Amino acid sequence: MLRIGSAEGFYGDDVTRALPMIEGGHVDVVCFEALSELTLAILRRDQMRDPARGYTRDIEVIAERILPLAYARRIPLITNGGGLNPAGAAASVSKIAQRLGLRGLKVATVTGDDLLPRLGDLLAAGEPLSNIETGESLSLAGTPIVTANAYLGAFPIAEALRQGADIVITGRVADPCLYLAPMLHRFDWAADEWQRLASGIICGHLLECTGQVVGGNSLALLDEMSPAALAHPGYPIAEVDEDGSFVVTKTPDTAGRVSVTTVKEQLLYEMHDPAAYITPDVVADVTMLRLADDGPDRVRVTGVTGHPRTETLKVNIARLEGYSRELLFLLGWPAVWRKEEQLRGMLAEAWQGLPIKRVEYSHPGLDSLYGPLEPPPADPLELVVRVMLTADDQDTLKAAVRRAMALGLSGPAGMSVSGTSVGADPRYLLGLWPALVRRELVEPGIHIDIREVEGDGNG
Amino acid sequence: MAEQQPARRVYDLAYGRAGDKGNIANVSVIARSAAAYAELREKLTAERVKAHLGSIVRGNVDRYALDNIEALNFVLYDALDGGATRSLRLDALGKSLAGAVLYMPVDPD
Repeated sequence: MLRIGSAEGFYGDDVTRALPMIEGGHVDVVCFEALSELTLAILRRDQMRDPARGYTRDIEVIAERILPLAYARRIPLITNGGGLNPAGAAASVSKIAQRLGLRGLKVATVTGDDLLPRLGDLLAAGEPLSNIETGESLSLAGTPIVTANAYLGAFPIAEALRQGADIVITGRVADPCLYLAPMLHRFDWAADEWQRLASGIICGHLLECTGQVVGGNSLALLDEMSPAALAHPGYPIAEVDEDGSFVVTKTPDTAGRVSVTTVKEQLLYEMHDPAAYITPDVVADVTMLRLADDGPDRVRVTGVTGHPRTETLKVNIARLEGYSRELLFLLGWPAVWRKEEQLRGMLAEAWQGLPIKRVEYSHPGLDSLYGPLEPPPADPLELVVRVMLTADDQDTLKAAVRRAMALGLSGPAGMSVSGTSVGADPRYLLGLWPALVRRELVEPGIHIDIREVEGDGNG
Repeated sequence: MAEQQPARRVYDLAYGRAGDKGNIANVSVIARSAAAYAELREKLTAERVKAHLGSIVRGNVDRYALDNIEALNFVLYDALDGGATRSLRLDALGKSLAGAVLYMPVDPD
């Protein structure tokens, strides 16, 4: 049996929840999943300011707080938080490890996911890199592309573990594959044992959002989860058997709850066709899966089936599309709808001649989440008017805000403006372009690098 | 005349969670009992969900039924105003979207 802990589900998660797992001797390996679709673009912005960055700062917390204990107990750590710069992350981790005296520690990186420098070559090689949501072909003309990363699978990480890595740092590896990797290493599954690989992938899928399988974001446990439990949940652990079946549980003696209901909620999270959950290593099918209560905070998962992996890998391409600003106008009774009409007309007049691309109105508290599912109230006591505007350049948005503010004393009766919205920085708008690329154009470029931490040089 | 009963909503029979991938959202509807699942499987069609959500979802709605865990999974295309990285919606990730489906009346008009 292999026990896998999960201590990060997004950049910014509380990675120190790995500590009680390791201190209590409850895990054999811990994985940290740090990359959402948005994260790589955020990391690119960091890297443009400082070329040494481009990785998640959580990695340095992992190195400082968790690595010494994990290394002492020979518990490997795996993370995709290397983002756009796994080598830079590894250099930083090695420096910290050296300072902490972790001599002999092996830091591995897996790279080869970053296709940005190769997009022109790929197009020339006949890969249209068409958008899988819209069908359009990719063009390099137009606004700048900021990231282009293929989703890699679990096998290179397993190889790094085989070579003795104590921490494996990757870029864009598909989330559940981080968790499949230690299973491949421990059980030596072959690349075509589809059923086992699929079961391992679903195990990773259930763990990859940490708090979401232990009672976080749970409507099923709405009444059961106390505020304290939501604030301090113990993060999930899976116990995986050699045949791929597994138990989902959590760090013992901590708050939170694992139940058949929390597992169902997380199983379908971000899933499309349940008979074809496509990952780099296997296509998983959960339509025959069975869940069984296995005691307190334990759910046994069996019956996952698998189909051969696809001949393509997914690549996500992000392109800078412009900027947005948010303004919040506050209107109180009486006659809020008449005042809103005045506000809209006034802003349209003020913004004439500016190259604004989109203006969207909504009313938080009334229609900002679900649109017009219910008709708006006729005479509400208060109305928040949220105005979103976009433009190709930041100067247009600054001018728009300035012109709106200049009308401060001549606007609708009793109107005020939220100061935080006026003072905020513009937000970058990124167009995401999901595409497919043939495996054989990516996999030869995958590289595993392992370096040992030396002594501090003074001894 | 008998007093009219308040409409049963999907939430009375199920719970659920929303997720996002690019500009595609999914909403799971997980039945609270076998009887609830049978009823939802019959009545909660993709067409009705699409009509109920109106302008929230600009594309198609696909439905997958998972008899093994008594759940339905709805995939909502072009449902996130371009996706989290460019959406102008207050809830850019669509985390709240499950509620819009759970708010739906179980029975057609």
